[in-house]
Amino acid sequence: MTTHSASIYLDLYDQHAALLASRSNAVMNERRADARARLAQYGLPTSRIERYKYTDAAAAFAPDYGVNLHRVCSVSDPYKTYRCSVPNLSAVLRFVVGDVVMPAAPTAVLPEGLRLYSFAEAAAADDAALLARYYDRLARESTDGVSALNTLLTQDGLVVHLAAGTHLKSPLQIVNISAADLDMLSSRRLLIVAEAGASADILICDHSAGEHQYVSTEVIEVFAGEGSHVGLYTLEETHTTNRRFCHTFVEQAANSHVQMGSVALTSGLSRSTTDVVLRAAGARYDGVAAVIADAAEHIDHNVLVRHAAEGCQSDMLYKYVLDGDSLGAFAGKVLVEEGAQQTLSQMTNANLCVSPTARALSQPMLEIYADDVQCNHGSTIGRLDDAALFYLRQRGIAEAEARLLLQHAFINDVLQRIPVGILRERLAMLVERRFRGDLRCSGCALL
Amino acid sequence: MLEIRNLHAAVEGKEILRGVNLTIGDGEVHVLMGPNGSGKSTLSNVLVGHPKYEVTEGSVTFNGKDLLALSPEDRSHEGIFMSFQAPIEIPGVSMTNFMRAAVNAKRAYYGQEPLAATEFLKLLREKRKLVGLDAHFMSRGVNEGFSGGERKRNEIFQMAVLEPTFSILDETDSGLDVDALRIVADGFNQLRTAKTSAMVITHYQRMLDYLRPDFVHVLVDGRIVKNGTAQLGYDIEEKGFDWIKDEIAQ
Ligand SMILES: Nc1ncnc2c1ncn2[C@@H]1O[C@H](COP(=O)(O)OP(=O)(O)OP(=O)(O)O)[C@@H](O)[C@H]1O
Ligand SMILES: [Mg+2]
Repeated sequence: MTTHSASIYLDLYDQHAALLASRSNAVMNERRADARARLAQYGLPTSRIERYKYTDAAAAFAPDYGVNLHRVCSVSDPYKTYRCSVPNLSAVLRFVVGDVVMPAAPTAVLPEGLRLYSFAEAAAADDAALLARYYDRLARESTDGVSALNTLLTQDGLVVHLAAGTHLKSPLQIVNISAADLDMLSSRRLLIVAEAGASADILICDHSAGEHQYVSTEVIEVFAGEGSHVGLYTLEETHTTNRRFCHTFVEQAANSHVQMGSVALTSGLSRSTTDVVLRAAGARYDGVAAVIADAAEHIDHNVLVRHAAEGCQSDMLYKYVLDGDSLGAFAGKVLVEEGAQQTLSQMTNANLCVSPTARALSQPMLEIYADDVQCNHGSTIGRLDDAALFYLRQRGIAEAEARLLLQHAFINDVLQRIPVGILRERLAMLVERRFRGDLRCSGCALL
Repeated sequence: MLEIRNLHAAVEGKEILRGVNLTIGDGEVHVLMGPNGSGKSTLSNVLVGHPKYEVTEGSVTFNGKDLLALSPEDRSHEGIFMSFQAPIEIPGVSMTNFMRAAVNAKRAYYGQEPLAATEFLKLLREKRKLVGLDAHFMSRGVNEGFSGGERKRNEIFQMAVLEPTFSILDETDSGLDVDALRIVADGFNQLRTAKTSAMVITHYQRMLDYLRPDFVHVLVDGRIVKNGTAQLGYDIEEKGFDWIKDEIAQ
């Protein structure tokens, strides 16, 4: 079922296929025909599609956005002009402006065992083999038209490869900047492969410059090898004119541990889709999200965790503080497949609506085809506790400040679950500043 | 210090206080007694400005100011403190952060700089000692996982930190074991000065023994029906409230 907005992009692709191909890595080009067929088949999802019932993607893509076919970049040297509010976090930093991957800083030195490069930079035979093996392997199985659109139009992206046993001491950071001189669609791509026993934490910061309508799709594929650890944290601090569709696919081998943390501070529309497969025994997935939204922001997390092997664990905590006319949606499903005995799973979504017009939609689901499992799920939607508010005010704390303390307290246990100390502290600081209203991620704006 | 005149108040449309008159002078400790449901906590909540309680008639003057015109936080800054009958839990807001916010809000009200971190921690340490509250409570959420008695102790600790001029203790003694009651009452007595006053709500004689109040008042059905000295409190302990109710009936 081709929706109208899908046909815009199918036509655009058909017109410019040769140009797109000429500027992209061969492995990307190889996947386009299939992506085109899937986009034509599934269309861009409207809210009639179950997994998109809280977010009408087709409507979000309906304006005819420009695509950066000519690889123009409006920011010349982000390493000089950009300063992230999470400073000195990482020696390993890459910028992506729109969907143009910027070259690494000349001074950058990668730790032993880490390869970080763009698809365009992939050179060695080893790189080509890696891309051929992993690129689009998970995304291609999806019936999601948005990820098909990404595969159809993406021209570059980043690859993180961790050799077996590699242990990164400090987090690696990727900064995405939505910057354009006109309304724009960008298609970002990230491939993370952690070989057996490797461990790393990766922070992705999403920022924006300029106030043009901006829609980004991003597809992240994570392959966590046996016994590996991957921490993937996302900080979203963009603009109300931004629409972001991020689809993360995770495949976990035996005894691997993947932790995802998402902190949304400011955006327009943000839809995060996360598909996790726990493929072999002993794999463990932890997902947390802290959403702070106000005005007309629309934040939607959609999570599917498949327990495909026995003895795996998943633990999810999604918390939303919703103010103004914002809408926070959560739909999560834990699917325990036949034979996935001794599954342990917990999924919680809690919402705090601090204004009368904020709305929370919550749907945690369980589908179980094994008998020896322990699965819990639940959701709550509440308001600020009047008794607590009054207690604080009686002690002299002004109402606005008291509300802030309570909101911060509500969201704080999500932050406490971020195991990397330096990341946890910085994110907590940003959350605090966001609540105080003095965050337009000033440290991270273009100087 | 405090002058309550013909105070009427309602909660959820139901009139609870039906003309309370009470004057409390500097340095005085008044005990308020009365049967369950007579309106003691309602009076306390009205004085601290709880939004659920609606004043329908009357006035309250506090050190010359119209108390009822002030926000709850400003009443606090002006020196009014209430030890809640049932202190609630506020998970996730640590005691330290809570007290820092409270202390600095009051300082800001009087045009003072926030307290330096070391000064603040010293203050907490001193006041904890006064009521025998262990340091580890400070890193917990407000009353989070505190026992009933610990919560009451925590109320007096907060009172000690904020140094109010007028304190309302709403059954702070109930739920405390004998030792804790002595510690809390001693703490309270140490905070007393010629400039501070208190309204203490209690059902028990032991509190009268410790606090040696200047006056005792009896609230029945939303009105103060009897005034006396500490002796009145002992009479109530012995004979209950019925004889007072009989007196009014006549
Ligand atoms: N928030 C409220 N909502 C509804 N009713 C209330 C509320 N607060 C008080 N009341 C009612 O007002 C009346 C007086 O209650 P109050 O708590 O003031 O009594 P009290 O004298 O403090 O009693 P106790 O000795 O049991 O503490 C009671 O009938 C009570 O049910
Ligand atoms: Mg009471």
